Amino acid sequence: MPPRASKRKSVPPNSSSVASSDGRSVSNKAKTKGMEKIDRLFNTYANSSLGMIDPEGIEALCADLGVDYTDVRILMLAWKLKSEKQGYFTREEWQTGLKTLGVDSLSKLKKALPELEKEVEKPSNYEDFYTYAFRYCLTEEKQKSVDIESICELLNLVLGVQFRPQVDSLVEYLKIQNDYKVINADQWINFLRFCKEISFPDLRNYDANQAWPLILDNFVEWMKEKQS
Amino acid sequence: MSNQKKRSFQIEAFKHRVVVDPKYAERTWKIIEHAIHEIYNHNASGLSFEELYRNAYNMVLHKFGDKLYSGLVTTMSAHLKEISKSIEVAQGALFLEELNRKWNDHHKALQMIRDILMYMDRTYIPNTRKTPVHELGLNLWRDYIIHSGKIQSRLLSTLLELVHKERTGEVIDRGLMRNIIKMLMDLGSSVYQEDFEKPFLEVSAEFYKVESQKFIECCDCGDYLKKAEIRLNEEIERVAHYLDVKSEAKITNVVEKEMIANHMTRLVHMENSGLVNMLLDDKYEDLGKMYNLFKRVPNGLSMIRDVMTSHLRETGKQLVTDVESSKDPVEFVQRLLDERDKYDKIICQAFSNSKTFQNALNSSFEYFINLNSRSPEFISLFVDDKLRKGLKGVTEEDVEIILDKVMMLFRYLREKDVFEKYYKQHLAKRLLSGKTVCDDAERSLIVKLKTECGYQFTSKLEGMFTDMKTSEDTMQGFYANHPELADGPTLVVQVLTTGSWPTQATVTCNLPTEMATLCEKFRSHYLGTHTGRRLSWQTNMGTADIKATFGKGQKHELNVSTYQMCVLMLFNNYDMLSYKEIEQATEIPTSDLKRCLQSMACVKGKNVLRKEPMSKDIGTDDAFFVNDKFTSKFYKVKIGTVVAQKESEPEKLETRQRVEEDRKPQIEAAVVRIMKSRRVLDHNNVIAEVTKQLQSRFLANPTEIKKRIESLIEREFLERDSADRKVYRYLA
Repeated sequence: MPPRASKRKSVPPNSSSVASSDGRSVSNKAKTKGMEKIDRLFNTYANSSLGMIDPEGIEALCADLGVDYTDVRILMLAWKLKSEKQGYFTREEWQTGLKTLGVDSLSKLKKALPELEKEVEKPSNYEDFYTYAFRYCLTEEKQKSVDIESICELLNLVLGVQFRPQVDSLVEYLKIQNDYKVINADQWINFLRFCKEISFPDLRNYDANQAWPLILDNFVEWMKEKQS
Repeated sequence: MSNQKKRSFQIEAFKHRVVVDPKYAERTWKIIEHAIHEIYNHNASGLSFEELYRNAYNMVLHKFGDKLYSGLVTTMSAHLKEISKSIEVAQGALFLEELNRKWNDHHKALQMIRDILMYMDRTYIPNTRKTPVHELGLNLWRDYIIHSGKIQSRLLSTLLELVHKERTGEVIDRGLMRNIIKMLMDLGSSVYQEDFEKPFLEVSAEFYKVESQKFIECCDCGDYLKKAEIRLNEEIERVAHYLDVKSEAKITNVVEKEMIANHMTRLVHMENSGLVNMLLDDKYEDLGKMYNLFKRVPNGLSMIRDVMTSHLRETGKQLVTDVESSKDPVEFVQRLLDERDKYDKIICQAFSNSKTFQNALNSSFEYFINLNSRSPEFISLFVDDKLRKGLKGVTEEDVEIILDKVMMLFRYLREKDVFEKYYKQHLAKRLLSGKTVCDDAERSLIVKLKTECGYQFTSKLEGMFTDMKTSEDTMQGFYANHPELADGPTLVVQVLTTGSWPTQATVTCNLPTEMATLCEKFRSHYLGTHTGRRLSWQTNMGTADIKATFGKGQKHELNVSTYQMCVLMLFNNYDMLSYKEIEQATEIPTSDLKRCLQSMACVKGKNVLRKEPMSKDIGTDDAFFVNDKFTSKFYKVKIGTVVAQKESEPEKLETRQRVEEDRKPQIEAAVVRIMKSRRVLDHNNVIAEVTKQLQSRFLANPTEIKKRIESLIEREFLERDSADRKVYRYLA
């Protein structure tokens, strides 16, 4: 897969005022200055031949932020940046994203992380983030499903904090069963729904006659057998 | 001559007061009173109706109506008191007779009196709202006679005693009864009901309670029903003869309740004679009686139906799960047909062909036929057996009858697609081995299946018939084009269109040279006229007729399978061949080769080959020789027919798997069809609709449907609704 090169031309400094993503129009001078800083920050981590931040760059960024590479906050950042390709940030994504966050330096970015967490956890955003997390794993073109291993890791990362017991059981089951070798988007979104709606671990309100994906029907059956 | 002055008439009132003679009323009354006496004393002939009427009329006119009326009441009451006494002293049987006689008298008297007092009836009585004469006469009779202390209870007990006598077989005076009862009815429905009917019903209930208890202890079910029926008819007849017709429903209810309803359960479940026994022994008459009697009581018929259903289900279940009967499919199906015939006859003859009973029969069959998952296969084998040989000498109508019965069983199958698969396999074998006795019967059955299941079900089957016909034409064309081949072996090729015939793995073997060249010639001929097609020889399905000469000169014509032919032809060039050599030369697959050799070397009467060692099984080190000592009574010897057999376990599994695989696209097609027309539909309704659409072919499994839906979501035919995840949307 050839890396995506940013085709957008850089905005000339003398353009008229541009509205930022929160609707405030920024005066030229301040905007130019801010964008410069953001740009410079980008260049610090970007792979110059590719023209974008590659996995190495992200690793470096993580180190500087004091965050682990596999931390969920990086995923959240990717979400905020609307990053399309896993492991890469384009200049466009970087610029738009950081501007939305209202940060233009590393320290500010670091400080913005807790707020970002809170933003993601808002119910209106959470589902979007959750779905994004799955899509982010679809690295090949036309790929529709993600392998079990990766799904287990993703579940841990994304749902582990909020739904620890469910995730633990689900991951255990996914590793044991052989009906499915991959998980598709429909099944993925229903995992979240399951955690939110079904009482755990008694599974009292689960009805197999409803439109739950078969993999969850099987999971519930497995749980019930284990519990008896 | 009067004055010429005109004077208008004037009518003036009497100048004096008109006074009616006070004694007038008394005198007139006395006349009437006397008349009444005479009437009651049967001396009415001497009376003048006109005079009496006039007197009564005058009394009323002169406002002496009160006196007249009250006099009437008094006089009549006095007479009735007398009459009452005379009835009371009557002894025994004379009591009723006396009552009856006196009633008739009174009735007649009342008529006359009423006629005499008609003016009073019409003017005075309506004005004063007093009881009219006739009615008064009845009421007085009622009060002084019927309700008289000494008569009332005696009357009732006499009547009831007579009824009881009749019930115990004695003859009674029905005419008298009728008159008395009619009297009570005339006195008013409340009199009839209170003074007779109610007690009558109570006593009857008691009577039948006792009687039914007695019967049920000593009779078997059939006898009891007979007795109950007799009693019921008796009561109906009794009412017709001497009771109020409105009593019929009431007394029959009593009998029904006491004799039938109260003992229903015990009767039905009676050991050795209850419903089940009747069903087993085809006791049509008794069953008919039970049906007619139980029809009259609430839940009677449903009890019979329920017991019949559970018995039938039990019997059917045993029939179907019996290991022994499963060994012979034809027997299995025949027993099912016999059972159905039996119950059909019972319902027709004893249960008046009731639809609800028919439905119970059908639902029971549907229940147990599907308990055995091999039912579809067996039914197909039954048909196969009949179409091969069983229909010889049977008339066309009988053939139709048998096929219709088979269709009935077919309808009960839930997994009709399994039947289709087996039917196709068996039909293929029949067609290819030339074993169908009756082409018409074959086609008739296909038409029936088409009517039942639609064109799709039978289109492939019809394709098979077409292929056979076309192949005939092709062979003719082949030989017409190659006259030089007329002297060589005769080749008969059936060209099968792949989609229509059951799928077979294409396994070829090495044909003997003569055959190989001949086949090649055919192939080029065929492909010459049908470019773009691909032919593959199915050597595992062919047959051959070969002429053989054995050691002592015996000549036979052997009818063998293609594989067997390949093996035998080798012995034209070799006296002995080892298993391995045969295997190498023919390239027949191992299991088929072993079977093929076994059928020619180890079966008595068909052992055209000799094997060393003489064991029953084929070992890879065995050696084979032509059996020079082979003998057979017949010139033509058939070895190894390709008869449709009950499948072995692995074959069964394979067929089942194929059926399951075939179902998947059908389910998907149904889902897409439904979603396309509904656009948006919730999960449960999708499952319900899909199941309904497919039920004419098989019972769809909800889990399987769910799997297919998920697959369709993944392939973006459908999506889940964003607001309600139980709802699916069709993606155009």
